[in-house]
Amino acid sequence: MIANFWNSRAKGLITEMDLQIERADRQGVEIRMPFNPDFCLDEEGTMVHGGVLTALLDSAFGLANFLAVDDVQTMATLDLRVDYLRPASSRADVIVSANCYRQTRHIAFGSGKIWFDTGDCEEVARGSATFALTRGKGGLLEKMNTRGPGG
Amino acid sequence: MKLSDIQARCDRVPFFRHLGFSVTEANDTHFIARMPFEQRHIGNPVLDTYHGGIIASFMEAIASLTVVDDVSSPPPKPINLTVDFLRPGLPGTLNTRATVLRKGRRMASVETIAWLEDEGKPVAKGLFHFLLV
Repeated sequence: MIANFWNSRAKGLITEMDLQIERADRQGVEIRMPFNPDFCLDEEGTMVHGGVLTALLDSAFGLANFLAVDDVQTMATLDLRVDYLRPASSRADVIVSANCYRQTRHIAFGSGKIWFDTGDCEEVARGSATFALTRGKGGLLEKMNTRGPGG
Repeated sequence: MKLSDIQARCDRVPFFRHLGFSVTEANDTHFIARMPFEQRHIGNPVLDTYHGGIIASFMEAIASLTVVDDVSSPPPKPINLTVDFLRPGLPGTLNTRATVLRKGRRMASVETIAWLEDEGKPVAKGLFHFLLV
């Protein structure tokens, strides 16, 4: 359900990245991003730009928090940290997994990792982020439902 | 490095074209660039604000340019980054200033700041480490 909803309401970068949700529940999310030559460092498309992986992690954290945090009304990234563990030189799909490992009333802490869907599944990047939350009735879901894209 | 050479280099990078920025100032210690707002940069579909990853990518792109020796040098290898988001990334042209904090033989550290209209009211601040070998 959430996957369909997320995709149907997506716009901007989320649409550009053509994200496919593989798994999404309160315990965490796993999202697939197909290879896209526009996200590469070179015309030959041998190397994905690190910034794309950062953006992918940020998106995954957003969805993970959205599912894990009760009554979330607004969510703002406070900070984002990413370690690039290996060169992102593959044309395989990129997989990101992320979870919200701790939430307080005002803050959510997330952790995630990225690998290429190549079989050996060696981690390419690892990241963590913190988010400022506001909670209350009439959360993000309702807002997106009633106001639609661009609200 | 001449601005036109730097821009030509950027125009050869698919992802930099996707971001759509232009470098407006470049010298040994800092670079400044501007990026017009595009639909494809949106992160929050309710507020139409910039995607945090786009802001971080823009800052990383400019940071990486400040540490190359000349326009034909290979890009530095990013090691890691930290980005603090200080204000909402409202729709509008985003500016970035990247300042080299230290550039050694093997490593470089670059600090960045991004703002919409007032540099005194930054949207985000970043610290990027690069491997130069």
